Amino acid sequence: MTRLVQVENLSLSFRAGERWTQVLHDVSFHIDRGEVLGLVGESGCGKSTAGLTLLGYRHNNARIEKGRVLFKTEDLLRLDRPALDSLRGNRIGFVPQNPTTALNPSMRVGDQIAETLFLHQSMTSDASTARARELFELVGLPRAADLIGRFPHQLSGGQQQRVCIALALACDPDLVVLDEPTTGLDVTTQQQIVSLLNSLRSRLDMAMLYVTHDLGLLAQIADRIGVMYAGHLVETAATRQLFGAPRHPYTQGLIGSVPRIDRPKGDAPSPLRGFLRRNELPPGCAFAPRCDLATPRCREEPQALLETGTNHLAACWRWPDAAAPRLGQSTTSNPSRHKDAAPLLEIQGVSIAYGRPRGIWGRLFPGRLTDAVRTTDITLSRGETFALVGESGSGKSTMARAVSGLLAPREGRILFNGEPLAPLVRHRTLEQRRRIQFVFQNPDASLNPRARIGTILARPLDMFGEAGDIAARVTGALADVRLDGAYARRFPDELSGGERQRVAIARALIADPQLLICDEVLSALDVSVQANILELLAKLRAERDVAMLFISHDLAVVRSFADRVGVLFGGELMSVGPVERIYAPPHHPYTLSLLEAVPRIDVVRESKPRRPAAPQLPGVKPKCAYAGRCAFQLGQTCVDTEPPWRDAGGGLAIRCHIPVADLLKHAVPYASPTQVKEAHT
Amino acid sequence: MAVTEQAPASLGLLATLRQTPVSFRIGAVILLIHLVVAVTGPFWAPYGYSQMGAGPPLAPASFAHPFGIDQLGRDVFSRVVHGGHIVLLLSLSGTALGLVIGSIIGLLSGYAGGLADNIVQRLLEALISIPFLVLALLAMVAAGPELSGNPVLVVLVVALVYAPRIARMARTAAIEIATRDFVTIARLRGESAWSVMRRELLPNATSILLVEFALRAGYAPVLIGSLGFLGFGLRPPTPEWGLMISENRSLLLIAPATVIGPGLALASLVVGLNLFTEGLARILGRTVKLGVQQ
Repeated sequence: MTRLVQVENLSLSFRAGERWTQVLHDVSFHIDRGEVLGLVGESGCGKSTAGLTLLGYRHNNARIEKGRVLFKTEDLLRLDRPALDSLRGNRIGFVPQNPTTALNPSMRVGDQIAETLFLHQSMTSDASTARARELFELVGLPRAADLIGRFPHQLSGGQQQRVCIALALACDPDLVVLDEPTTGLDVTTQQQIVSLLNSLRSRLDMAMLYVTHDLGLLAQIADRIGVMYAGHLVETAATRQLFGAPRHPYTQGLIGSVPRIDRPKGDAPSPLRGFLRRNELPPGCAFAPRCDLATPRCREEPQALLETGTNHLAACWRWPDAAAPRLGQSTTSNPSRHKDAAPLLEIQGVSIAYGRPRGIWGRLFPGRLTDAVRTTDITLSRGETFALVGESGSGKSTMARAVSGLLAPREGRILFNGEPLAPLVRHRTLEQRRRIQFVFQNPDASLNPRARIGTILARPLDMFGEAGDIAARVTGALADVRLDGAYARRFPDELSGGERQRVAIARALIADPQLLICDEVLSALDVSVQANILELLAKLRAERDVAMLFISHDLAVVRSFADRVGVLFGGELMSVGPVERIYAPPHHPYTLSLLEAVPRIDVVRESKPRRPAAPQLPGVKPKCAYAGRCAFQLGQTCVDTEPPWRDAGGGLAIRCHIPVADLLKHAVPYASPTQVKEAHT
Repeated sequence: MAVTEQAPASLGLLATLRQTPVSFRIGAVILLIHLVVAVTGPFWAPYGYSQMGAGPPLAPASFAHPFGIDQLGRDVFSRVVHGGHIVLLLSLSGTALGLVIGSIIGLLSGYAGGLADNIVQRLLEALISIPFLVLALLAMVAAGPELSGNPVLVVLVVALVYAPRIARMARTAAIEIATRDFVTIARLRGESAWSVMRRELLPNATSILLVEFALRAGYAPVLIGSLGFLGFGLRPPTPEWGLMISENRSLLLIAPATVIGPGLALASLVVGLNLFTEGLARILGRTVKLGVQQ
């Protein structure tokens, strides 16, 4: 294979005020023709900056200290604007993280592709329309003729990202740079995009640079992986080698932080501890402050990449020690906790709709409102963790809003400690408001930026009439989430994302709740931070015996954490059961698709079983919400009749027309034969 | 990285000033002169503001009487100097009152939303749709003749004109801030609307409101001057600038300095205030943007 890209000793600095901060240190890597290189690391490690230099792009306040970025024979960093313009979008394609902002909202998507084709290939409008159609077929957008005339907002997130990929591919580039292309997408959509990219690379023979924080994803698509930390490339190896025998302690920590769906509760990984503090980097190895193997020599001496195997480089002089097997200390161990039989929260036949009937028509035909959640029953015992899983739009957050009292259910009722909860929070008692607390997804938005942490934490105490030493309570609450008492004087923007989420958790717990609603509390955080927060939650849960309604789109996270799981699709529960039973066959067809969508690092680029595409249904709304997407659906039955709840044994309930015996045939690939056999008997 | 970047507080006042826009600095100097004159003027003005016989009536501008002498033989320059603190005080207190009323109405209305917000907004729109001079005159008439010429009434009128306009800005800010999760958390805690406004909305709207205050304050002297000119403001012999322009307007051709003098004072105050506030808005806007990035 020939070298397509060669990055040599690249060092780059950003200006902040008067100072220059170096964000890339001597980064060198290469990409061969047709090869996929993954760049991985936590946020702030310089992976995107490194990736974007392959487009000859750098921020206005960036300065190249030294190094070259060779594309074929040209140094991209020394090309002038016109020369770069003729390369970008033409020989080098780019797929951005957020397709919603990357596409021009006031231009039809077909025209956006035509624009690129006109620019680089002087294509006439007829020819470019034909080509756009071809590209849409290529990226798996059906009914291309119809989609070409649409505006970006008329497409779903997954479709938008496909359009962005089509744009990047328009001129048959030699190289495509992908910057976190699936980060904003659902797990199932993410899986589709990744398999699309896999099929495209084999068909088109193009090279890719895939920048992501998600190691699990790279296992499925990358040939080689480069791991970055604090602007240093700390390890490069072929994908199989990297996962099989990681040499650098940071890589090992990253792998340990990936939630594993094939690992049951209690067998927790040893995740990374702490987080990247750019202002506390030692002169030696940047990772030393977080490394278990660090010695004084590590902190003094800068590390260079060492050959640790064939085509395997790692920047750690202690790699033989790091490579030796170590016992991961079990941290999230979840001993079966004492559970009261008394139910804490009962959700009975709840349907929730957005909006309210408008005008005479709406009042006469209230059925025209579409429910975001339909007749759902969930019961939570004291101290129990119930995970609600589903993709976006499945109604899981809507359910949380109803329990919290932000949104009144259209019908049904919610009991808390045996007493009915008023539908809206302003009608609930002080005690009820206090006993149900929340943690939101985005810690940046959930803390008042103009209030000090101490003020934020003291407010609930004040509100719920706590007497006593407020300052001491605040310090205690900070200590509970492993933060120093001095944080009370800080403002939220002086904290990292993980620290902010800790404060949000502390604010919820300071009110001494019985039920904690966690709405996607991990999804805005780095993988390593996620593992830390999850560990913290598990510890606090054990200490305080607080029940949790844990909302997540990630089945892998849930496995190590929840007691029971409910799978939600289209506002309806599809399957409910104890956590161990959800992951073992038989599966509801939707659970199966979620399980298959989880990126797994133990199966390196193994072809997943191809399910037949879901058959097209006539325009009517089917009685089974999942019928339109189900690969196994039985035809008219699924459209005409409500699916029954079936007992799948061991407390697992599945709502499907397909008999349990038949569902057993479609086991998820990692389920061992014994597991399947057990379930049969 | 946010932690490493220190606020430029350590740079010292001079260095901070050097980073501000030029217009801001010019405005600050003009404003400072006005402030100094307003505070110290009554002590060094050559004549009293109603002292007659300062010179021959209708004398043109001279070194002794830079703005000439009016019909009654009063030194116009002294009158302008004496009037400085009146104009400044009335402008700022009127705008401040408008800011307080407007912010409270706007923030609460934006947070409440729905029907209440709709009604409040239509009322505010109705008030805004009346030209401000007409509105001011209506208020004056409604207050009755016995209150005419009372400085408190002038302050109230300025507040009445500005409050609806400031309320609209505050409402827009409140709607945006209310969508953020920390406000939802406060609602879930059962905080009252007043408490949410005070603790969550107001601190996050301060920069927007401060800019709004500054921009409105810059125009307030014109509003007060117009009222004085039309005879609905303060009573003679108060040395209010608009009133002085009105009194001397018939002398424009005979002794132009008596009109140009107070006019110049008013114009320079407005220009200074506007340059200053525009710069302030830019500085605040910059810090606000930085805050979002972090």
